[in-house]
Amino acid sequence: MPSPVRLLRSTSRVLLVGVLVALFLAPLVVMFTGSLRPPGLPPPRGVELLPQGAGLAAYASTFERVPFGRALLNSVLLAAIMVPLSVITASWAGLALAQTSGWRWRTLAGAVLLLVMVPATAVWLTRFAVFKVLGLTGTAVPLVAPALMGGSPLFVLLYAVAFRRLPQELFEAARLEGAGPLRLWRSIALPLVRPTTAAVALLAFGLSWSNFIDPLLYLSGEDALTAPLALHALELLGSTQWPVLLAGAVVVTLPAVLAFLGAQRLFLGEERGSGWLGR
Amino acid sequence: MKAGASHGREAMLFLAAPFLVAAALLVGLPALLALGLAFTEYDALSAPRFVGAAHFLRLWDDPLFWTALGNSLLFAALAVPLRLALALGLALLLHKGGRLARSAVFLPTVVPDIAYALLWLWLLNPLYGPLALGLKAVGVADSGWLLTPWGARGALVALTVFQLGEVFVVLLAARRELPEELYELCELEGGGALTVFRRVTLPLMAPTLALLAARDVVVSLQTTFVPALVITQGGPRYATTFLPLYIYQNGFEYLRLGYASAMTWVMFLVTAAMVAAQLWVLRGWRASREA
Repeated sequence: MPSPVRLLRSTSRVLLVGVLVALFLAPLVVMFTGSLRPPGLPPPRGVELLPQGAGLAAYASTFERVPFGRALLNSVLLAAIMVPLSVITASWAGLALAQTSGWRWRTLAGAVLLLVMVPATAVWLTRFAVFKVLGLTGTAVPLVAPALMGGSPLFVLLYAVAFRRLPQELFEAARLEGAGPLRLWRSIALPLVRPTTAAVALLAFGLSWSNFIDPLLYLSGEDALTAPLALHALELLGSTQWPVLLAGAVVVTLPAVLAFLGAQRLFLGEERGSGWLGR
Repeated sequence: MKAGASHGREAMLFLAAPFLVAAALLVGLPALLALGLAFTEYDALSAPRFVGAAHFLRLWDDPLFWTALGNSLLFAALAVPLRLALALGLALLLHKGGRLARSAVFLPTVVPDIAYALLWLWLLNPLYGPLALGLKAVGVADSGWLLTPWGARGALVALTVFQLGEVFVVLLAARRELPEELYELCELEGGGALTVFRRVTLPLMAPTLALLAARDVVVSLQTTFVPALVITQGGPRYATTFLPLYIYQNGFEYLRLGYASAMTWVMFLVTAAMVAAQLWVLRGWRASREA
C-alpha cells in the first residue's frame, strides 16, 4: 500500500501529463475534425467536437481545386531522391569527422559548425542567383542539391557522434587487411549504426517533405507543384472554405506524421543512451 | 605498419569531399557573393553596378529595416528561453514512462511549416476559429489577437514554441546520460525536488542547454518566415515584419538584390555576435565552476 503522499504525487503527475498531451494534440485533432465538415455550410457558431454530417467531401473538393495528386507524386519523388542521398553524404562526412584528426578534423569540424550557424535565409538570395546563372531554376536540381551536403549539418553531427562510439579496433583491423574508406563505410561503420541511419532518414524525409521555401523560389507551373506548394496555391485561391483548406493541410501532414509514428521508438525509446544519439 | 594505418585514417577525409564541395558551392559561394552584391545595384536583369557603401548607408536610414531587426531580436529573446524552458521541463517530466506522451509532444514539430501556419491561421481566426469560439463559450469575447501588434507577436511566438521536438529530444537524451546514482544519493540525503534540480540537474545539463540556445537563436531567425508570410503578412503595422520576410520582399518581390544582400550580411553578423556572446558566457560559467 503506497503512502498517501506518494499516491497524491503520482496522481497529480498523471493529471499533468494528461493535460500536456491534450494541449499538444489538440491543434492536430481540431485540424482533422475541422476537415470533416461538409464544405459550403456557414461557419459554426459554437464549439463542435465532431461536425454534423461529417464526411470526406472537403477532401474531394481539395483534389478538384488544385492538382494535389500530381503534387503528392512530385513530393514523393523528391523524397525518394533526397533521403538516400542525404543518408549517404551525411554518413560519409560523419565517418570522416569521426576518424580524422589534426588539420583535416579542424577543417571538417569548422565547416560543419559554420553551417550550423548560418541561417538558411542568409544565403537563399544569392544561391538563387547562382542557380539562375547556371540556368537551373525551374528544375529540381536546386531542391535536391542540399542533399549533397547531407541535408543538414545536424545529420553529419549525429553520424559523427554515433561513429565515435564504435570501437576503433574494428576499423584498424579492417585497414590492416587493406580495406579502403568506402569498404570501411559500407561493411563496418554503416551496419553498426542502424538506429542513427533510421533517425537521419526520418529527419531527412521531414526536411524534404515539408520544404516550402525552395519550391516556392525555384518552381513554377502546375506540373511542378510539390505538396506544400499545392497547399499554398489552395490558400492563394482565396478560399474561405476552411474545411477544404484543412483537408489540404491534413493531406500534406499525414505522410509526415505516419513516418514519425513508424520511427518514433528510435527517437523516444526508453533505454538509456538510446534515442537519436543512439549507439 | 603504424604509418600505414594512420595514412589509412587520413584517407577518410575523401569521404567528406561531396559534403565539403556542396557546402562550398551552396553556402560559401552564395555568402561571398552576397558580400560582393551588397556593394552593387543589381536587379537580376541587367549587370550589377558598383555603388560603394550606399546600401549600408541607406540601411542606416531605413526605419523599416530597424523595425525588422528589432522584431527579429525580440522574437529570439522571447521564443528561445521559452522553448528551452518548456522543453527542459517536459524532458525532466517525461524522461521515464509514457512513450505516448513523448510522441504527443513531438508531433507538432512533424507538421510541415505551411500546413502548420494554415492550421494556426484558422485556430486564431477571430470570427469562427476554434480558439475564439472556445473562449466565447466560457465568456471571453475578445479574440482579435492577430489585429494588435503584441497579440500577433505573441501568437507567432506561441505557435513556434509548440514546435520544440528537436530541442526536447536532445534534452531527453542528455537527461538519460546523467548518472542515476547521483539522484539516488540525493534522495538518501533528503534533498527536495527543487534542490536536486538546482544542484544536480541544471549544472550537469547546462552545457547542452547553452549549445541548444546558440542553435535555437539561429533557427529562430528563420522559423519566423513562413508564419509571418502566411498568417500575418508582416502586419499589423509591421509588428511581425521580421528580417527574413523583409529580405524576401526586397530581394524577390522588388528585385533589389544588392540592398537585400546588404541586409543579409547584417543578419549574418547579428547571428554570429549573438552566438559568440552565448559561447563566451558559457566559457566564463565553466571557468568559474572549475575555479
